[in-house]
Amino acid sequence: MARVLDQPRYACALGAMNTVHSIEGAIPVLHAGPGCASKLAGYNGSSGRFSPNLFPCTSVSEKEVVFGGDEKLRSTIDNALKVIDAQLFVTLSGCSAELIGDDIAEVVGKFRADGKPVVYVNTPGFKGNNYEGHGWALQAIFDQFLPPGEKAPDKKKGLVNLFTGMPKIDPYWHGNLRELERLINLLGLEVNTIFGYGRGVDAVKRLPEAEFNIIVSPWAGVDALKFLSKKYGAPLLHYPVLPIGAFETTKFLTAVGEFAGVPADKVKAITDEQEREYYYFIERFADFFLETRIVSKRFVTIGDAQYTLAFTKFLVNDIGMFPTSQYVMDRTPEEWQPSIREEFRRLSYGIESDVLFTTDGYAVHKHIRETDFGGFPLILGGSWDKQISNEIHGNYVNLISPMIEKLVINSHLAGYSGGLKLLEEIWTAALSRLIL
Amino acid sequence: MGDKLRQVAIYGKGGIGKSTTTQNLTAGLAELGKSIMVVGCDPKADSTRLLLGGMHQKTVLDTVRDNRQGVTLDNLVKTGFGGIRCVESGGPEPGVGCAGRGIITSIDMLENLGAYTDDLDYVFYDVLGDVVCGGFAMPIREGKAKEIYIVASGEMMALYAANNISRGVAKYAVKGEVRLGGIICNSRNVDHELDLLRAFSKALGTRLVYYVPRNNIVQRAEIRRKTVIEYSPDSAQAGEYRDLARAIEDNDMFVVPTPISQDDLENLLLEYGMMDLDDEYEI
Repeated sequence: MARVLDQPRYACALGAMNTVHSIEGAIPVLHAGPGCASKLAGYNGSSGRFSPNLFPCTSVSEKEVVFGGDEKLRSTIDNALKVIDAQLFVTLSGCSAELIGDDIAEVVGKFRADGKPVVYVNTPGFKGNNYEGHGWALQAIFDQFLPPGEKAPDKKKGLVNLFTGMPKIDPYWHGNLRELERLINLLGLEVNTIFGYGRGVDAVKRLPEAEFNIIVSPWAGVDALKFLSKKYGAPLLHYPVLPIGAFETTKFLTAVGEFAGVPADKVKAITDEQEREYYYFIERFADFFLETRIVSKRFVTIGDAQYTLAFTKFLVNDIGMFPTSQYVMDRTPEEWQPSIREEFRRLSYGIESDVLFTTDGYAVHKHIRETDFGGFPLILGGSWDKQISNEIHGNYVNLISPMIEKLVINSHLAGYSGGLKLLEEIWTAALSRLIL
Repeated sequence: MGDKLRQVAIYGKGGIGKSTTTQNLTAGLAELGKSIMVVGCDPKADSTRLLLGGMHQKTVLDTVRDNRQGVTLDNLVKTGFGGIRCVESGGPEPGVGCAGRGIITSIDMLENLGAYTDDLDYVFYDVLGDVVCGGFAMPIREGKAKEIYIVASGEMMALYAANNISRGVAKYAVKGEVRLGGIICNSRNVDHELDLLRAFSKALGTRLVYYVPRNNIVQRAEIRRKTVIEYSPDSAQAGEYRDLARAIEDNDMFVVPTPISQDDLENLLLEYGMMDLDDEYEI
């Protein structure tokens, strides 16, 4: 794997502050240098009552490096508890504090011993990236904030915890989560999610009550959910593909139904109705897709494992397009790569997609430049991929982080309607190139 | 900085006697009329105790700790025996913070404050223990100390540390001017110590600059917060330190060291340590 970071598609582990920030009532307390939070704030929807520029931070400088930052951390947490109305304080450490070996566990441990809602997670950038940090932060909350397994409340029948895309770095995290929540609700299950509007720390406290856990993610956050499931003895459904469009969403809901013991005919009635609506629109626009031959059959996806895989499944299984190489750039841990690679090979009509795990944007663009697409390919990626798309006259759509030229608030790509939205995005990009 | 300035760093295993040797050595150089500054690079801040007749009260890093503004050299530099200017870097309490970074901060600060004046003949850096991280190599880096002396004895761990320090020197010698000036033996009365140290020095491509014999007068002087030269100027040991000072003053052999492998080091110890097997204590 290349060690070069040209056009990186991720940030450092401290980016887990975005995970915490997306839980209402929780606040990150940063034990990091001045500027770290600001650097990590560059995603859609970062402002609010507390934003990265306002997060309590020790602003580690030379004095703390030389003499240790424990005392500064202690006073920062102490003062944060006094002036900030929050239910959960998550201390995240940056590189400098970790390099000098500050004993964050000890400092936070004293607050916890006093019954304060403070937890900690070690998130130095040299230890991992924000996809990993996201999982570490979740696990820290599950481990330190929630009660021990033996003191867990009784399970609530039909209650299921749902986790998917990582807040903020996934531009559609809020919309996707709500859409999957809505679909699972249709099966008669009650869904508990912790991120976004109207959920927050109260939802975190309900996590132990759930009968099941579901995580929709190729790898990020899966270990944390395994931990949660084990802690409270609730089975886990790990569904690696973010479902987009009819094919995958029906498959997903069927899997959830089987897992949760929902009668198959009930699930089928629901998915049939959803599909009917979906195909109503596909049918209405079938002529358009057939006649507007400005999008060729070949496509490329560039970004994290979640979207490269989800788009590939949708474009092959629902739209009948043909994959060339897909570029997974979230530094997927090696132990996860074989199973994800396998998913890229599990496509309809016996089609398989080539997949490249790399962190080097230069290598990806070089590879694309050397590929013969037999026309103008569709390129779904981040803002760094606009230039290469222009170079090869591709149809380029920015759907994955980094998202510099686009605003996403709460729309979604997941589910049946998400598939239609994705079609709008793709054909809008193609049509906008017509010279009128 | 004047051209005549010799910047010297003293390294060696912890507890080997670097500070004692440095202070007695600089006292000897002061008697030769040299203008000297000693910079203690140890968080314990006890590298200049014998020259000052007590602990230095204001370390460079104390000013950082207290966020003190408008610090001047007068606050940080105290004059001790023979007009020797004494500075202590200071640093964090044991077990917290980063003492290595402290040394970097401290030396930068001294430079910015203009501590290295043209009238100085010598600056000595007395550095804590082994070169465990980049901070402790600071005096070797960036054109600061150009002469390194390693204090060692015939004990295995002392030689092991000396060999490791040589690695650090060799590394920085590639792109800089730093060179090894030699080994100073602070005797522990180990068997065949002199021969062993000579052979070890030769293996490193350097030489044994001086052999300081063991003498309890050093401890007696230390208890009275004095160098031997001040405490008992006529003693034989004071003479030894004066000779060491002369050897350093006259030294003109500066090399890029050739550190040896662990196997070679152990063979060396076997060769010299096991010469008199007949004497070995047997039960």
